[in-house]
Amino acid sequence: MKIQILKEIIQKKSSKEKFAVLTNLINGNSEIFEFGKFLSKDFESSKKEIENYHYLKKNGVIDGTQIFIQNYIKPIEVIIVGAVHICQYLVDLFKNLDFEVKIIDPRKYFITTERFPNIEIINGWPEEILKKLQTNSNNALITLTHDPKIDDPALRHALKNKFFYIGALGSKKTHIKRCERLKEAGFSEKEIDSIHGPIGIKLGGKSAPEIALSIVAQLVSETHKL
Amino acid sequence: MNKQLKRTVLEQANVWIESNQKVVLARVIHTWGSSPCPTGSSMIINEKGEFFGSVSGGCVESNVIAECLELIKNNNLFKQIKFNVSDENAWDVGLACGGEIKIFIEQINS
Repeated sequence: MKIQILKEIIQKKSSKEKFAVLTNLINGNSEIFEFGKFLSKDFESSKKEIENYHYLKKNGVIDGTQIFIQNYIKPIEVIIVGAVHICQYLVDLFKNLDFEVKIIDPRKYFITTERFPNIEIINGWPEEILKKLQTNSNNALITLTHDPKIDDPALRHALKNKFFYIGALGSKKTHIKRCERLKEAGFSEKEIDSIHGPIGIKLGGKSAPEIALSIVAQLVSETHKL
Repeated sequence: MNKQLKRTVLEQANVWIESNQKVVLARVIHTWGSSPCPTGSSMIINEKGEFFGSVSGGCVESNVIAECLELIKNNNLFKQIKFNVSDENAWDVGLACGGEIKIFIEQINS
């Protein structure tokens, strides 16, 4: 592989583009593939199959050819509302997983770079911040404040924009009340049921790092259902 | 996030290349049965034999490293290597999980 291809992959990955790297296993040539891009003669005869594998995000040697395709997909963006204690452990656990993380909290004393170094933090109300971000089904939302005036607008935004994962921290009682408010706001039962509440898989633990682990486990498991 | 904390395999390859080291990229291109690392998993090896990443969760790494060093020594550009259960080498290095993997190794060159 040429150095310039390696550098291009690094650059494209950091700008979160969707692309694939093709390698001709007979002569060792590699090139970058994107939908609609012109292919060199090493690959052009298998254009249809390449497009199909890329569409299906399938890595491997394309059937009947000597072409290896490796797909790079956009990482999932996780938005966390509430820069609380659990959030610090969440950030730690996310470090080794391929997610992009943003934290939103309107409370200045929670959302500081001292508490959250090396991570994107946004001080403001979720309602206003989320409107400015581009969000879609590639997003996940985790709400941690269990304060309706902070969490609810974020939940409404996530439901409207079809986030693939929505989880809300809070007891069963809190969650029942939350569901009632969302029903009043006009969301269907199916939409409301898609919220993971109380958030996380059942581990039995109640400490902040244990809750964080149960949330990450649930999110990862949902990712693999996509 | 994590940019400063987590360097990917390819980013590490770039760091080695910029310090004028020869680097070989190894990628899993095909798997059968129960192999520990999925297709697309990658590892890099420099001329000193230092490595980063993984192609088999530890089972055949030492063989892959030896093959990569051989590639640099003979100044070959690329090679395909296959490990499977019936392969004596694979047993030696411990691919006992019943899987088979095919690995493509290639020099990063200008």
